[in-house]
Amino acid sequence: MKQSSTRAVLVEVAIHFVLLVAVCAALYPILWVVSLALAPSGAPDARALPIPDSISFHSFASVLFRQNSSGTWVFAVQLFNSVVISLATSFVAVAIATPASYALARFRFVGSKAGTSLLLFTQMFPGVAASVPLYLLLDSLHLLDTRSGLILVYATSAVPFAIFQLRSAFEAIPREIEEAAMVDGATQFGAFLRVALPAARPALAVTGLFAFMTAWNEFILAATFLSREEMFTVPLLLNSYVSEYSAAWGNFAAGAILVSIPVCVLFYALQRQLAGGLTSGSVKG
Amino acid sequence: MAGLTLRNVKKVLGKTPILHGIDLDVRDGELVVLVGPSGCGKSTLLRTIAGLEVPDEGEIRIADRDVTHLPPRERDVSMVFQSYALYPHLTVRDNLAFGLKLRGASAQTIEERIGEVSSMLELTPLLERFPRQLSGGQRQRVAMGRAVARHPALFLFDEPLSNLDAALRAEVRVEIKRLHDRLHATTIYVTHDQVEAMTLADRLVVLRAGRVEQIGAPLEVYEKPRTLFVAGFLGSPAMNFIPASIDSGIARAKDFAVHVPASIGGPTVTVGVRSEDVVVAESDGQLRFVVDVVERLGFDCHAYGKVGDVSFVARLNGEVARTAMRGTVIALNVRDGKAHFFDVQSGDAVQ
Amino acid sequence: MKRWFALAAALASLCLLPSPQASADETSVTLWHAYGEAEARGLHEAITAFEAAHPGVNVTEVAVPFGAYASKLESAIPTGNGPDVFIVAHDGIRTYVDGELVASIGPIPTAVSDDVERGYLDAFRVDNVLYGLPIALKCTALYVNEALLATPPASLEEFRALAPVLAPGVSPLAFETDSAYYAAAVLHAFGGELLDATGHYTFTGPSAERTVAVLRDLVQQDVVPQDASGALVTQLFASGRAAAAISGPWLATDLPAGLRYRVVPLPTVGGHRMRSFVSVEGALLARGARDAATSRDLIAFLASPSGALPRALIGRQTVTSNAVQADARVANDSLLSAFRAAASHSVLMPTHRKMRAAFEPANRALRKALEGEMPIRVALAEGAHRFEMITRETMPAQNPTVFLVVVGLLFLVLTIVSIRKIADAGMRARIRRSWPAYRYVLHAALAIALLVILPLLVGAATSFFAGHGRDMHFVGVANYVDILTAQGGPIFAHGSFWLVLLVTVLWTVLNLLLHVSIGVALALALHRPMLKMRGAYRVLLILPWAVPSYVTALAWKGMFHRQLGSVNAILSHLGVEPVSWFAHFSTAFAANLATNTWLGFPFMMVVTLGALASIPNDLYEAASVDGATSWQRFRFITLPLLGPALAPAVAMGAVWTFNMFNVVFLVSGGEPDGTTEILVSEAYRWAFTRSQQYGYAAAYAVLIFLLLVGGNRLLSRNTEPVGGTR
Ligand SMILES: Nc1ncnc2c1ncn2[C@@H]1O[C@H](COP(=O)(O)OP(=O)(O)OP(=O)(O)O)[C@@H](O)[C@H]1O
Ligand SMILES: [Mg+2]
Repeated sequence: MKQSSTRAVLVEVAIHFVLLVAVCAALYPILWVVSLALAPSGAPDARALPIPDSISFHSFASVLFRQNSSGTWVFAVQLFNSVVISLATSFVAVAIATPASYALARFRFVGSKAGTSLLLFTQMFPGVAASVPLYLLLDSLHLLDTRSGLILVYATSAVPFAIFQLRSAFEAIPREIEEAAMVDGATQFGAFLRVALPAARPALAVTGLFAFMTAWNEFILAATFLSREEMFTVPLLLNSYVSEYSAAWGNFAAGAILVSIPVCVLFYALQRQLAGGLTSGSVKG
Repeated sequence: MAGLTLRNVKKVLGKTPILHGIDLDVRDGELVVLVGPSGCGKSTLLRTIAGLEVPDEGEIRIADRDVTHLPPRERDVSMVFQSYALYPHLTVRDNLAFGLKLRGASAQTIEERIGEVSSMLELTPLLERFPRQLSGGQRQRVAMGRAVARHPALFLFDEPLSNLDAALRAEVRVEIKRLHDRLHATTIYVTHDQVEAMTLADRLVVLRAGRVEQIGAPLEVYEKPRTLFVAGFLGSPAMNFIPASIDSGIARAKDFAVHVPASIGGPTVTVGVRSEDVVVAESDGQLRFVVDVVERLGFDCHAYGKVGDVSFVARLNGEVARTAMRGTVIALNVRDGKAHFFDVQSGDAVQ
Repeated sequence: MKRWFALAAALASLCLLPSPQASADETSVTLWHAYGEAEARGLHEAITAFEAAHPGVNVTEVAVPFGAYASKLESAIPTGNGPDVFIVAHDGIRTYVDGELVASIGPIPTAVSDDVERGYLDAFRVDNVLYGLPIALKCTALYVNEALLATPPASLEEFRALAPVLAPGVSPLAFETDSAYYAAAVLHAFGGELLDATGHYTFTGPSAERTVAVLRDLVQQDVVPQDASGALVTQLFASGRAAAAISGPWLATDLPAGLRYRVVPLPTVGGHRMRSFVSVEGALLARGARDAATSRDLIAFLASPSGALPRALIGRQTVTSNAVQADARVANDSLLSAFRAAASHSVLMPTHRKMRAAFEPANRALRKALEGEMPIRVALAEGAHRFEMITRETMPAQNPTVFLVVVGLLFLVLTIVSIRKIADAGMRARIRRSWPAYRYVLHAALAIALLVILPLLVGAATSFFAGHGRDMHFVGVANYVDILTAQGGPIFAHGSFWLVLLVTVLWTVLNLLLHVSIGVALALALHRPMLKMRGAYRVLLILPWAVPSYVTALAWKGMFHRQLGSVNAILSHLGVEPVSWFAHFSTAFAANLATNTWLGFPFMMVVTLGALASIPNDLYEAASVDGATSWQRFRFITLPLLGPALAPAVAMGAVWTFNMFNVVFLVSGGEPDGTTEILVSEAYRWAFTRSQQYGYAAAYAVLIFLLLVGGNRLLSRNTEPVGGTR
């Protein structure tokens, strides 16, 4: 008895040790970015511990209160754009993906197999090849340089993965509850809307988060499709600190941290659903 | 009126035929209990009636209306699922109200019905909880309540009491009987519980591998099983079957001999004897029963053992019930007219 | 439900929110540039002056992200979405002319022709047509720390003598020795050049060898720190650990206010003056400019003294206007006058189309020679060979008839087959039964077809073409043939498709192994219900996933920096010699791997956590009752149940890792010598850094796609079909 309890304590200590090491490794590069943002020089420096000698919020201030040449508070404008675009992206992507994934989970129909394979295939084609055709397409739709255009592109590019996610989420929901609703007087669509959808809420939240991240962090397409500063998103702002000849690493780091905060908060808020949402169904289905 | 008629209903799931042409007439207000071994297609039949599965062939009429191709919501049925199928995101109250709301019932009606079913099924303290906060039995009661609250033309119950404890089960069983007497709603009721089947049913339907084996009043089915299968399926302990050969009006097997009605010919027959249909013989009996294990239940006992080489169960009472033990040899007689005879090949009862 | 609709409506109205537009009665000119903050301010000041002088004219400045500048110009101008005026360096002028992106600005305004040197003006002239006017110069000069060096050394040889004199830890000089841009200054001193006028790569031969030898000696004698990056040069000079630095005007913006320094023209080497490249930045008139006259006025104004002065004073640009040099404030600014003087000794960057492609092989040759990896002559010869490979002649055009016939036949067969299918009664019945489902998938199908699949198809179709812009032409499957035959060289030659494929497979397999093993291990540790601080651990371990990957990839690149990186700092605390991480394949690959492992393990961990949570506890209890040890429980319950749950995630992860462009591009950038490149990053290079061979890049993309589809088929044959079909 005695022996097994000391063994249990040893195991516990070992596990904490492993986890602590992992946490340090996970945090180290992030702390490094933080220290860069807080260092008064704003320049990288060779040191093992990411602790700056002195702290200055100069970089944060210069990112936060950055104005463009005509006196517009660019950070606010671009943050606004990013928030609107990312929220709308996650909304549109989930709205498009949900019914489709529901159909894939619930109905057997001609083309469902081919469709799913096609969806998977879109994930395999490197995006490099698509940016020029996309540009021409958006141009012909007069959606260049608009938030809606960018939202459309982001949302559709997020849809395939969202469909995979949601399909397994719907598969994990017992069919009977929708059948009960139909017996209770709902149409098939009503059962989807009133029963399946609310039951899939955690997965919807996680899928929305991923779509949000797609838009929030995207740089290349935004840079290609937007050419008016008042439409720019925050990643473009970050990128502007790294120009052809010089890089303001301190500002870049400060901007990076500011950009990361919302996503970190969302991750924190959704961490329980994250574990469930990603696998619900992949276990059963 | 709101009867139910099934005509040659066939259903194939995937590539397996599950229902092979079911014919059934249920009168208005009748309570029909559906029994059959696991996997025989009871749930499938119920789902087909509800409209969740479209039959591949055949016709379904509810209240003389052809509903074969109508969606579930237009059939005015309610169903208790084997897996409860409660809405996980709604409280018990909202679960109960869901169907009523969809059908546009007034707030007052909804309140009344909720009050009615929750007092009947003892759900009142649970009304504000979510399904995940309920025990299995509580969930089943909610599922019952949800079906009852709607007052539909046809109830479909798929093993609605299987998870309740014995006391509650008996209580709800009586409730259902009372409810049925009051509402007089046509009901199809699936159960594995013999007591439920015998006590609730106006008529009993025995299903086997997607075919109706026998339909009739419970006692009639019990006493006059039309097939070996029905005979063996109903009753607990199950009926004893002894393969015997007929020799000048007597069916014989090792340690076994009973008279056979003159109508039965053939060299062999399967003799069925229910465990309660034997009595201890004064001297030489028709059966020589060697006891192996005895379960004493108080008033009587189940004695397990052998007649010849065949396993046999006898329900005994009186002095033997107390004294019988392993190795005891008891001479038994079959009660008059209680022996059942079945054709060896087809399994059909022969008279 | 209502709440959601309200939110959706609010969002919709927000995205349609109009942004302020110029009022109709104003003439509006749009100008694009890729300047950093200070230069943009100077430019803005100049433009404000222009607007003051031209009432009713409104100029919109757009600071376009540098990384996307070239490709943006190329796609925006032909479609009419581009600027009216744009500012670029002169060396790309031929590309702009070929791509029909620029328009003639007519004769040089006299105010400019008298004020700006002929050579700079001619930088924007092609075939006697002038497309823009020069406004500023970018070249390098010598920065000298006045506290460390009283008089600036006049020659590189003098620096050599400084090495023993200066305090330990202080380098006499810092510059990017392994960058061909800086090395060219020495090469020019010896009479060599990188590329001759006819577009031949000339970083070979005696002058090139002499150049590399000089640089190698400088490094070996510790005159110049080894493989110094731009950041390191800045860092060393700013902190006084380098007495002098060779850099451009951009260095000045990164220097602390207290540092006392002077800027002088470059020193001599072997008795010849070092001559750096000079790029002339000019304002060009875009083809299709809405108001060409006003745009021309703006260009002329920016080039004129009144447009140049604010740019010089505020943006501290080395402006081309001579008149401005007379202004006292400009003349007294040592930075401005020094760069101006330096520019006059410089060599104009060649405008040949192949110029940009020359840097990659030249850099690699330099690095290899300086690392001592191979003799100078061999390294240079290899560079020349590499240049030939990446600038290979564009494929000859082919007659598309045969191809079209084949495609047409295929299409016909497909149509017949599908008509046959639909004609089949059973099929029709099934399609009819599918209608309700189609209503659910219709909009998703449309959206994906239009915005995902169509662009991908068009992209794939470009793989049958070569060249770009106007001389894009059909070449059939020549691109594929070229790639698959390793351009006729040995199959596993350096940089060949097959070798890169091998690296990519290795990359994918190792990454997945690490992701899964680390993810599963941590998840198992976190899954213990009694664990203290479980929530905190979980949140902290997910963080790498939440931070944008391009940020953390850059952070990791910094951490692997030889001199400034913390990895080497940690190693030195442990008594290990600093490692040049990006100098060897193994270490560079390891650096990429470390970064991507760090980025990818949280996903696997979270997936595993979810899977673990769904294994019923009864199973473990039953097994314990049956007497299973904890290892047996893991082996016989956890593992078998985890497998199927992880399979889709692993399949998805494999696809993502195979195409993980960010990490490879940002961390090692293919170093050393393109060996750590994977297929996607290779495709990207063909598209954007090797004279824009989009067709070739598209062929790479199609091959990647086919490989992944094939791999998926292969792997899912035995096991449950992964990810896609059920
Ligand atoms: N989707 C399906 N595809 C093929 N066969 C199915 C499908 N669903 C059920 N079955 C089979 O149909 C048969 C009847 O199933 P059903 O659920 O109706 O049985 P049941 O009588 O209700 O059994 P239980 O008493 O166990 O509830 C079973 O043998 C089952 O394996
Ligand atoms: Mg069933």
